[in-house]
Amino acid sequence: MTAGVPTEFIAPGPQSFDTPPIINGVDWFTKPVLVSMLTVVVIVWFYWAASRKSAIVPSRLQFAGELGYNFVRNSIARDAIGSQEYMKYVPYLCGLFYFILLNNVAATIPLIQFPTFSHIGWAYSAAILSWIIYNAVGIRKHGLWGYFKHQTMPAGVPWWLMPLMIPIEFISNIVVRPISLSLRLFANMFAGHILLLVFVLGADYLVFESGKVLLAGVGVVTFLMGLAIAGLELFVQCIQAYIFVVLTAQYIGSAIAEDH
Amino acid sequence: MSEHQDPKPSPPNSGDGWRVLSYLIGGVLLYGGIGFGLDRLFGTEFLLPVGIVLGAGLTILLLHFRYGKS
Repeated sequence: MTAGVPTEFIAPGPQSFDTPPIINGVDWFTKPVLVSMLTVVVIVWFYWAASRKSAIVPSRLQFAGELGYNFVRNSIARDAIGSQEYMKYVPYLCGLFYFILLNNVAATIPLIQFPTFSHIGWAYSAAILSWIIYNAVGIRKHGLWGYFKHQTMPAGVPWWLMPLMIPIEFISNIVVRPISLSLRLFANMFAGHILLLVFVLGADYLVFESGKVLLAGVGVVTFLMGLAIAGLELFVQCIQAYIFVVLTAQYIGSAIAEDH
Repeated sequence: MSEHQDPKPSPPNSGDGWRVLSYLIGGVLLYGGIGFGLDRLFGTEFLLPVGIVLGAGLTILLLHFRYGKS
């Protein structure tokens, strides 16, 4: 497109998230797969390098590794599961947190700029994994029938309301939880990225292709807004990773809690 | 059942609000769904809104019993 010739603006939409295979013929190898593999390599390398030379006086890298690990261990796992049994679940929660975090932040890193979890299948599989884990540990702790009672009998409700409350408790604990976990992560990543696309592509169109000085000025403002949105998105990306893992930890905590 | 006390009050955690949300969705979905089904069964139109309101009301009551007394 040459500058000065007005052309049609093509708005970004769900089709902006279609990722063609990187290598022709290998259909499964798309950008989200590449990004997720990269994040796994980075996480494994980071924790391997941080724990390789454990010293009483930690190196800078070891300190960073301990900081990252302790954050999940203390302020997510121990708070939500309780100091008795939380250590068993720290490896899963820690891995999950940094996997989601890096895949979300990948949307902000230049040249990568793609949030893996904006493809809903990724969010579904992460949520299903957490769902299987919290149900499995609950069943192992209370037995199948005991766990079922545990998850469907709301505490503190008068007996005559029980028949109406048990279905709500069941639906919300067993059915809605995995759906809300996955949809929250997916929708935040999808909407945030599409918002960025609208602002940045809109600014690009207004400045370079609208062919009017006034609109070009508006485009500059649009671009600045886009930068602000990018900052907001960085915040949202971290918060979403945190919420996903906090909720997983709370679900595990409530599945193994002794309140019956 | 009714004099039962939670031995460990749930920690003041940012996740609580999201758990409440999943209760609200669950209640509305369930009783709204029942209302929708009964509407289809009887050919009426008023049971879906009744179910939604009933579900929301019951869920708020449940949340009151569950979180309101700690």
